[in-house]
Amino acid sequence: MKLRKPKNIGKRQKKMSFFSYNFSPKNRKGTILMENLIFIILNLVFLSILILFLFSKMGGAAVLEERYAKQIALLLDSAKPGMTISLDMEDAIQKAEKEEWPADKVVTIEENVVTVKLREKGGYSYSYFNDMKTSPNFNLTNKKEYYFVIEEK
Amino acid sequence: MKIIKNKIGADKIISVYWFVILFIVAAAIAYMVISFYGKPYDIRELEANALTNRIADCVSEGGYIRNEVLVQTFRENFLEQCNLNFEVEDTYGWKEQGQFYAEIEIFDFNSKGKISGMSGGNSNLKEFCEVKGEKIPFCLKRSFYVIDKKNAQYQVNILSIVRKTEKNEQ
Repeated sequence: MKLRKPKNIGKRQKKMSFFSYNFSPKNRKGTILMENLIFIILNLVFLSILILFLFSKMGGAAVLEERYAKQIALLLDSAKPGMTISLDMEDAIQKAEKEEWPADKVVTIEENVVTVKLREKGGYSYSYFNDMKTSPNFNLTNKKEYYFVIEEK
Repeated sequence: MKIIKNKIGADKIISVYWFVILFIVAAAIAYMVISFYGKPYDIRELEANALTNRIADCVSEGGYIRNEVLVQTFRENFLEQCNLNFEVEDTYGWKEQGQFYAEIEIFDFNSKGKISGMSGGNSNLKEFCEVKGEKIPFCLKRSFYVIDKKNAQYQVNILSIVRKTEKNEQ
């Protein structure tokens, strides 16, 4: 009986790793293509996560609440009686609708404190020093603006 | 000299480095974004400017000093007279502290003698104007020249201070 010499003896065994794994056993030449494909997919996944993170930070409800509360407070500080100030708040109203918060309750003013609230558990308040009678009104025509009527106290 | 025979192996090492670089770049971007959006918008300078303008409009009208400014009752109710309300929201113990201070000083333009002065708000904030550093109130000093109907000349100095550090600095 003839003994066969095992094929691996005398040869260096190839180490298997993620990058060298052949995903297509039938076609061994396709390894390079598969590797590249995985590499590209991973890159795309990575970049999309990064972009999603950026957008979530930029357009977050907390950021919008703070931005609009301070913007409104500054507008009211510079306002004079008899003025009506219109403010485009489309992005904030869209965010409130997503969070199922009524658009007409986004901006409230109590005494001289503006509160912008875009979600159930949230809200940002900021005070202004201009002692005038101010009422915030949601524009029901275009549904993306708030207007503030300033009157003498 | 060693010659790299296994080119595919070299490519693999490069791709690993590529991911390392990608993660470093991503971490840097994430850090920058968090540090930028994590900080509150600082609007105290704008607030102090608005406050100064409002006081200036209250003291003078059409380039002339308002007659009532030099009267005792105006000095006593200066905040009411200028339609100013320094009440703030009840967070960070702001209600007790007071976050605003405003001061007006009126001098004779020629002799530099003080004619009148009035103030309102938290006067303790005034001492921070000389201090340099972080998390301190914002101070704004402005002065302007004004005359009365009899052509007497005045210099009006306005000091506006806004604290609100917790909501504007981090």
